[in-house]
Amino acid sequence: MHLNQVQVLLRPRNSWEAMDLGILLARRHAGLLMATWAAITLPFFVLLTLLFWQQPTLPALIIWWLKPAFERLPLHILSKALFANTPRFTDSIKAWPTLLKLQLLASLTWRRLSLRRSFTLPIQQFEGLAGAARQQRVLTLTHKYKQVPTWLTILGIHIEMALWLGMVVLLYLLIPAQLQADWSWSSLLTVSHSEWLWFEHLSNLLYVLVLIVWEPVYVACGFTLYLNRRIELEAWDIELAFQGLAQRLKNSPLLIVFALLCLFPYSDTALAQSAETEVISSASEELDTNGPRLLKQLLNSEQAQQSIKQILDAPPFKTYKITKSWHFNDPSSTEYTSPNWLNQLLKQLSFTIQSLLWLLLLVISVIMLWHYRQWLRAFAQQRQPRQQYNPAPKQRVLGLEVSSDSLPDDLVASAHTLWSDNPRAALSLLYRGLLNHLLEVQALPLSTAHTEDEVLAMSQNLPKPLQCYSQQLTVHWKNLAWGQQTLNHAEFVQLCTDWQQLQSQEAKP
Amino acid sequence: MYLETPEGIYLALRPAGLPVRVLAFAIDLLLRAALLAFAGAAWLYLGKFGLGLASISAFLLLWGYMVLFEVLNQGRSPGKQIMGLQVIYSDGTPIDWSGSLIRNLLRVIDLLPFAYCIGILCLLNSARFQRLGDLAAGTLVIYEARPTQRKSLPEVTASPSARTLTRNEQHALLNFAERQQQLPKRRSEELAAIIAPALHIEPAQAVSGLYAIARSILGLR
Repeated sequence: MHLNQVQVLLRPRNSWEAMDLGILLARRHAGLLMATWAAITLPFFVLLTLLFWQQPTLPALIIWWLKPAFERLPLHILSKALFANTPRFTDSIKAWPTLLKLQLLASLTWRRLSLRRSFTLPIQQFEGLAGAARQQRVLTLTHKYKQVPTWLTILGIHIEMALWLGMVVLLYLLIPAQLQADWSWSSLLTVSHSEWLWFEHLSNLLYVLVLIVWEPVYVACGFTLYLNRRIELEAWDIELAFQGLAQRLKNSPLLIVFALLCLFPYSDTALAQSAETEVISSASEELDTNGPRLLKQLLNSEQAQQSIKQILDAPPFKTYKITKSWHFNDPSSTEYTSPNWLNQLLKQLSFTIQSLLWLLLLVISVIMLWHYRQWLRAFAQQRQPRQQYNPAPKQRVLGLEVSSDSLPDDLVASAHTLWSDNPRAALSLLYRGLLNHLLEVQALPLSTAHTEDEVLAMSQNLPKPLQCYSQQLTVHWKNLAWGQQTLNHAEFVQLCTDWQQLQSQEAKP
Repeated sequence: MYLETPEGIYLALRPAGLPVRVLAFAIDLLLRAALLAFAGAAWLYLGKFGLGLASISAFLLLWGYMVLFEVLNQGRSPGKQIMGLQVIYSDGTPIDWSGSLIRNLLRVIDLLPFAYCIGILCLLNSARFQRLGDLAAGTLVIYEARPTQRKSLPEVTASPSARTLTRNEQHALLNFAERQQQLPKRRSEELAAIIAPALHIEPAQAVSGLYAIARSILGLR
């Protein structure tokens, strides 16, 4: 038994946890355990069924009664598997007959009905004790575990029953409803016994199938309970840890010897002698961390460097990966020396190109500066106080400039000069003149949001001639501005003379 | 099963397996049966009104019992509490309404086709002992972490170890000293003999020497 090969974490658990460990153990080796259990029980069951076809209760009863005999095989497999020595299927089957030799009669008779069966079986199978010695051993081991193995068996019975009934109910649920319609329980009870033989054998088979699933788990739980008790009593976990500790400390005695060797020969005189040289050497080597230093110590710098390097080369810091890929043969392997003149030429060429590149850089920077001069100036002048420039608010009506200084002095003359090549500009000049007049002389509250018709409507209360003129001009202006319909020359001249008349009338009074 | 929190603390969760959970469930079942019997008595004595009360309480017991206890009592129904179990999320956080509801509604699937067959098979086949409801809700049933009383160490004069020990080795030494009551004397001597030479302890005083080191690890005198 080598504890360092054990496949579970050794620690004392409470008894329920120990059983859980058994379930996990059975789960890990489920395939092997179930296959071997099936291999030894199923043929036996088939044989029994054929032998006792008329007594359907017997095969199930016999299988149930022989359970302790079958249970020795999963226990054997588990004990091997615990120490990383899982047997193969054929080997385990071959091992079964030898397992049966040990106290089989006792297991099948007076110990059969013991509720602590799963817990005492390992004691019997692994320790091979008999008589008073066995009694004593069982007492020792069950000292604290009087209840738990019993509970395991009671729970086991219930789980077996639950699974078996579950299988039966599942079968019942699979029967089509049409067939069930005329079933009644009284008729089921009165049918002759022989007609239902097959059903009883079927339910026996289901029981055997349930055992394939549950028995390995049950045995494993008992086994781990036993194991847990021994871990507790014999402190396997501590033994394992102590062995590891002893191993670790044993691996380093070389270091101890080395340390002793280093420390002892240095008598005081030796230290005094070496001190002088050390002072000289330390001045030059103090900063050189790569050279050998601290040679008088238990762990000198060389060893330290080496172990640091080893650790840094190990996986968490550095992982080595070998990758393979295709390469061309290395062309540089053929030696080639270029002639001297070529070297000279290349040198000059490279110098020229270098100077050109520098020049290019210079030119580009100058161009950039020139290009962004406004922008740069804006930044450069930010310190100076900004000049306040508030232009007089422009008077605009209908999107047209109507202030007096935006109009020419002689409105009609300029309109006439514009008329020949740009009638639109000419008419707009007249209209602006009108608006200016309305705004400044008549003092109408015009704003930029007004339309032509609104302006016209506001001029209702003005003197008749002005009103008339503005009506005419507005019609023509609208036609031209919105409808692109140019008025003829006579109409334009008429408008001009009307405007002059109005101006002269204004001037008279 | 170990969880590491963002603070770098390792939490050991010990998922609880089939046997202990069957027992806890049985306790809960009996308790509910008793409560239901009370409700039945109400039916007998109060007539139709009693029948209404009985049906309501039956409904609550069927659907609400587990959920209410799990959410309001730190994931422990009475049966679980007696057996020292607790329901939590598999990331270690306490269970809340949604988790508990999912977990207990899927109980209906787990108890198919009869007496929790699916649940039993799931528990046997799951590495963390989760039935379908647990898998759906992402919950675990674990052994409650109960504070343990540190056992007293043997009365010897403490003396530090001659060699540096790792944390696990210190644990082993402490365990060795704390379990002095359980271990037979000869077994203690056998164990101590394994490491006595490595720790420069006289073989004759191996056991007490280890006890002394254990006391010094704990900082006792």
